Amino acid sequence: MFDLLPDRVPWYVVGPGLGILIVGLFVLANQPLGASGAYVQTVGFVRRRADVAVWRVWYFVGMFAGGLLVTQVLREGAELRSGYDALRDVFPLGAVIPMVFAGAVVMGFGAGRAGGCTSGHGLCGTSQRSPASFAVTATFMATAILTTGVLRLLTGGDL
Amino acid sequence: MTRLNLIGLLFGMAFGGLLAGGNLHEYDTIHAMLRLDEPDVFLLMASAIAVSAPALWWLEREGIITPFGGRISLSRSSIEKHHIQGGALFGVGWAIAGTCPAPALVMVSSGALLGLVAMAGIFVGLHLSQRDSEAAQGDGEHRELTRT
Repeated sequence: MFDLLPDRVPWYVVGPGLGILIVGLFVLANQPLGASGAYVQTVGFVRRRADVAVWRVWYFVGMFAGGLLVTQVLREGAELRSGYDALRDVFPLGAVIPMVFAGAVVMGFGAGRAGGCTSGHGLCGTSQRSPASFAVTATFMATAILTTGVLRLLTGGDL
Repeated sequence: MTRLNLIGLLFGMAFGGLLAGGNLHEYDTIHAMLRLDEPDVFLLMASAIAVSAPALWWLEREGIITPFGGRISLSRSSIEKHHIQGGALFGVGWAIAGTCPAPALVMVSSGALLGLVAMAGIFVGLHLSQRDSEAAQGDGEHRELTRT
């Protein structure tokens, strides 16, 4: 709406900002920050389970609202689109949809099995100096870079 | 709304807003990172940890009492097999889907409809992993499932 933000806020603003959030959540509530836990709690909330951490459901809502605020209000306002530009340059939409879904299922399963994702382990766990989080982060970075390399080879360098 | 829920909402908004600001919800950003074409996201993650790790170390040493969660306590789990297995699968899926749980939400809020496909997949994958009784409490954010 307002076009107040640059097209991409630089890493040296976003990164320390995320670090401050991690510290802030510990200072206020002694809780680790993470996104996949918010997904799990949101499912539990919808299914009316008894042991739900309701604040993580609000966290889930907040991530969506924060995304809206930045992409629709502070920026010019993005229109409906499919996303995944670079992937759709290489594959037709009929192949992109099952690829994205299958990748996300594997990613979600891995996050559940590892006990966290890029935020929970990659940022918050490593900040706590957790050996498990360092191991998870090193492992997913390695397999992600490797998988990207394989995709690049399979598509003849197009992806 | 309780004060803890308000904290959840505000921290979620700040987190989602920062991710959106850095364009981390775009497939192209994550893909360029994993292709090792640009170092920005690696630097972003490193600078986040460079801020929070020393601060958390100091806060834990001081033993501060938090308003909503008692004395501050960090988790330091040892490495188990499920961490490596889960991390390996997560990386493969991350590279293919080009997004992870928080950026997928922001992707949808930015109007990118394929983000809905990614979110659906994440829900399915998490659900499948939760059916496994061995599944795992780590130092990631799932730890409070046993503590709430």
